[in-house]
Amino acid sequence: MGGTFVVTLREGFEAALILGIVYTYLEKIGAARHFGYATRGGAIGVLASVALGIVVTALSGPLLDFGPDVIGLGVIFLAVVVLTWHGYWMTKHARAVKGDVQRRIDEAQATHRLWIIGVIAFTGVFREGAETVLFLWGLLTQATSTSGFASASGALLGLVAAAALGWAIFRGGQHISLQRFFTLTSIFLLLLAAGMFSTGIGRLEALGIVPQSSTAWDTSFILDDQGLVGGFLNGLIGYRARPSFVEVGAYLLYLAVAGSLLFKGNVSTPRPNTPEGKVPAHAT
Amino acid sequence: MPGRRTLLIAGLVVALAAVAGVVSAADPRPEIALTIEKDQFQPTEIKVKANTPFTLVVTNKNTKAAEFESKDLRVEKVVPAGKTVNVLIRALKPGSYAFFDDFNKAATGRIVAE
Repeated sequence: MGGTFVVTLREGFEAALILGIVYTYLEKIGAARHFGYATRGGAIGVLASVALGIVVTALSGPLLDFGPDVIGLGVIFLAVVVLTWHGYWMTKHARAVKGDVQRRIDEAQATHRLWIIGVIAFTGVFREGAETVLFLWGLLTQATSTSGFASASGALLGLVAAAALGWAIFRGGQHISLQRFFTLTSIFLLLLAAGMFSTGIGRLEALGIVPQSSTAWDTSFILDDQGLVGGFLNGLIGYRARPSFVEVGAYLLYLAVAGSLLFKGNVSTPRPNTPEGKVPAHAT
Repeated sequence: MPGRRTLLIAGLVVALAAVAGVVSAADPRPEIALTIEKDQFQPTEIKVKANTPFTLVVTNKNTKAAEFESKDLRVEKVVPAGKTVNVLIRALKPGSYAFFDDFNKAATGRIVAE
């Protein structure tokens, strides 16, 4: 029972964390009435996960061999794009936000990009969603035996616990300042996206689409990526005990490119001429 | 003018064809059978020639779905109940590569390339 609990807790938490961050972000920029974007994105993620689970079970042949891989890669790279985009906008906001007037202006701008919030919520759920659906489904079919019932219950409890953790993050996020929230989530989303980019490139390497490289190092003696903590870090920031050179390179490349996009000039004091005609702080 | 959804589906089909094309463009690969039966892999150890790509033909004889996964091989493939999935494995350097059933962690095995 503990085994299946941990599995769904980990997979559920990865989604719950994204959703918690997204809802908290919306509230912090004064766009709480747009929660629906995130909710719809997440709901579509759940539906798509169930749909893919059903479709995969009905497939065979090359569609079954390659279909899930293509979809999985598509979702990973889509997530990298929207997370990068969102991180970039968050740091632009953080620079400009200095009081209520700014919040309202930012909110007006944010409305144009709220569908990206929906896509983030969708990818957060769908990334592991189909797998979790199939896993649960299999457990439920075996729930007639005592051990089967324990396994299935454990898995469902794991999801409930993950949802509770996501809720706790949302509540906790309300107590920290806007700037701190933006900083913390920018860093986390940067690592999350770097991990996903590296994972995607690693899969392309395994498929032979990207040239192969050998293993860069082996830190499984410190932290095994299949263990409890290692598994969480694997899902959240892309930790690998035995990464290939290509994967390490992809991770660092993403950090360098996205990091410079996000943090360039972020620590400087507000300048008189803010870009795009935004109202400068001192003019309010 | 094709809508966004049509383009998305077309893109997916093209990507699918591209992946299938690229990975099967290589010479015919040796095929090795692996069965999932009664919560275990059969066999639990597979010997292959190093530096030679091959296809692992995984058949799930259980009544619930399994997921063939290997962190070392960077492979995650769902194998529905009663179905057979072809897992294309790239040329492997000599060594041992562990795999497991992600839906039933008790089932494990390894591929030994030499």
